[in-house]
Amino acid sequence: MTDSSGARVDISVIIPVGRRHAADILALYADYKTGLEALGSTYEVIVVLDGPRPELASDVQRLLSSGEPISVIGLTRRFGEATALVAGFKRASGRIILTLPAYHQIRGNEIGKLVRAVGVTDLAIGRRWPRAGSRFETMRRDAFHRLLAGITGQRFNDLGCGARAMKRRVLEEINLYGDQHRFLPVLAGRIGFKVLEVELHQSPLDRYESGYPPREYIRRALDVCTVFFLVRFTKKPLRFFGMVGFTTFVAGAALVAWLAIDRLVFRHPLADRPALLLSSLLVVLGMQLFALGLLGELIIFTHARDIKDYQIEEVVRYPAATLPAQRPGQATLAPASSGESHPHIV
Amino acid sequence: MALDLSVVVPLYNEEESVRPLYDAIVAGVAPLGVSFEIVFVDDGSRDGTVRLADEIARGDPRVCLVKFRRNYGQTPAMAAGIAEARGEIIVTMDGDLQNDPADIGELLARIEEGNDIVVGWRHDRQDKLWTRKVPSRIANALIAKVTGVPIRDNGCSLKAYRACLIKQIPLYSEMHRFIPAMASIAGPRIAEIRVRHHARRFGSSKYGLSRVYKVLLDLMVIKTVASFTARPMLWYGLLSLPMLAAAALALGWTGFTLATQGRMSLSIAGTGVIFLTSTVMLLAAGALGELIYKLGDLREHQFSGLTQHLLVRGAASHD
Repeated sequence: MTDSSGARVDISVIIPVGRRHAADILALYADYKTGLEALGSTYEVIVVLDGPRPELASDVQRLLSSGEPISVIGLTRRFGEATALVAGFKRASGRIILTLPAYHQIRGNEIGKLVRAVGVTDLAIGRRWPRAGSRFETMRRDAFHRLLAGITGQRFNDLGCGARAMKRRVLEEINLYGDQHRFLPVLAGRIGFKVLEVELHQSPLDRYESGYPPREYIRRALDVCTVFFLVRFTKKPLRFFGMVGFTTFVAGAALVAWLAIDRLVFRHPLADRPALLLSSLLVVLGMQLFALGLLGELIIFTHARDIKDYQIEEVVRYPAATLPAQRPGQATLAPASSGESHPHIV
Repeated sequence: MALDLSVVVPLYNEEESVRPLYDAIVAGVAPLGVSFEIVFVDDGSRDGTVRLADEIARGDPRVCLVKFRRNYGQTPAMAAGIAEARGEIIVTMDGDLQNDPADIGELLARIEEGNDIVVGWRHDRQDKLWTRKVPSRIANALIAKVTGVPIRDNGCSLKAYRACLIKQIPLYSEMHRFIPAMASIAGPRIAEIRVRHHARRFGSSKYGLSRVYKVLLDLMVIKTVASFTARPMLWYGLLSLPMLAAAALALGWTGFTLATQGRMSLSIAGTGVIFLTSTVMLLAAGALGELIYKLGDLREHQFSGLTQHLLVRGAASHD
């Protein structure tokens, strides 16, 4: 992280380059550059190659030797876009962090709109609109975002859009890893940052891969589960597991009771009743879920001093001489640590 | 630590109360002749609370203001205030003027007597009977029964703690009601005193009946966590005993019928196997629990150190 006292630029642009990237990144860069130049602020560009990209080597060389304010970080293997983003952020010195996708999603001249939105919000995320794509695509996307909204209570329309501008603080305070990059707005909104969706014109070059592979559906579904737990139950595992477990247990116990009455009062022999299996399964399942919830609770309890479930914006003490006021973010969630030591930054 | 006393007050939309509250605290504490600070924690208020509190802090260096980015709830507000406090004794109270800062003196006196925690008891509570007082009475009886900490009024925020104790107690979820119960893992000396309670002058109550379910679950968590964290294996072992008994019964019966009649019931044999599996799973969970506890950063002996008293020849101990 660059020292805050050093010469800082206004905007740090981070472009994580994953498997999918524009065929001609020089053209992409030129497109973004027009948008950045139009802003009239100082900026730096940090390209993070998520895994070796030999096909880009020559383009990267040309960019580096062109005298542009650009630096390139290469990760030795694919760590995921969020990790790439964090790696880039560690080198970023801008007051505003702008992430841009490595392929044409939005027109470069739309960047200004996004960056200006940071003046009124903490995190501005792009929404490609109006948007091309088949009706099926639109429905699928809408269903995904609706589902997510139901879980998190925050409605977004285009989490797939990589163009996002944010105050530096947002990335300082959020612990991102793996593929969570997509859910940055959800996590940011969750801890109290203001998130604003900005409609941006879609780039004419933003095309769809033919067909959406089933693997992607599974990944999205798992993503939704992850967010569900992250948002709802990370601090209160027993509330979830306890509720489900208790319901299951009660259902099983009721069934057992009925079977027992049936056996004792009505003399139906237990031995040939498959319902016995079902009831005992339910009882056992309920107990197991409960036991898991308690384990979760134990984890929370034993780490409760590291996990702060609040974010301090500022501590005000006058006069400041008695004790240095805490920098915002210091007494908050532990800084990004997972994955920090893994990427080899070259 | 430089100060004798920190008064921690969470504020949430209390713009009318802030100023009178500040005056009352100063009026209540200043005559005691202790060095003190007031820690206001703004829990994401949407009215003028922050501005007013900031003004007060500007005019009085003894006031510290912790601003939250949004509303997180009373427990996080308390936790943040306690973390920020620099006094040797920490007094917490509500920001709605229902507690009377004039009682702080007596809280302090009781701490000085050797108690680690002194809790207020609103014996003459000025709230609605059926929606506030009756549920609270029931909840308190339940909490006292379950946690074994006989406090008549857990809901009263006016409490005093030794800082070294309370700063070590994990506070999360909605545990502000149970701080003494949570702190009881350290075996503190707890005293209860009668405090004054005023009817609400401004604003409206922010805490309703809907939280009963959460309170009950939190209570359960605290109970299990407080009594079994250090020995998960034992606890899961106990949990698995009935399972094991059921498994033994069903499998024994199966063996018996097999031996005597040469046939068996699939349902009963299956049930036995299910229960046996469950026993094993629970024991495995217990082992996992041991691992978690071992790698976690809370140890029971840390808690014992917070309240222990040393009996040395020639030195007087507290009790």
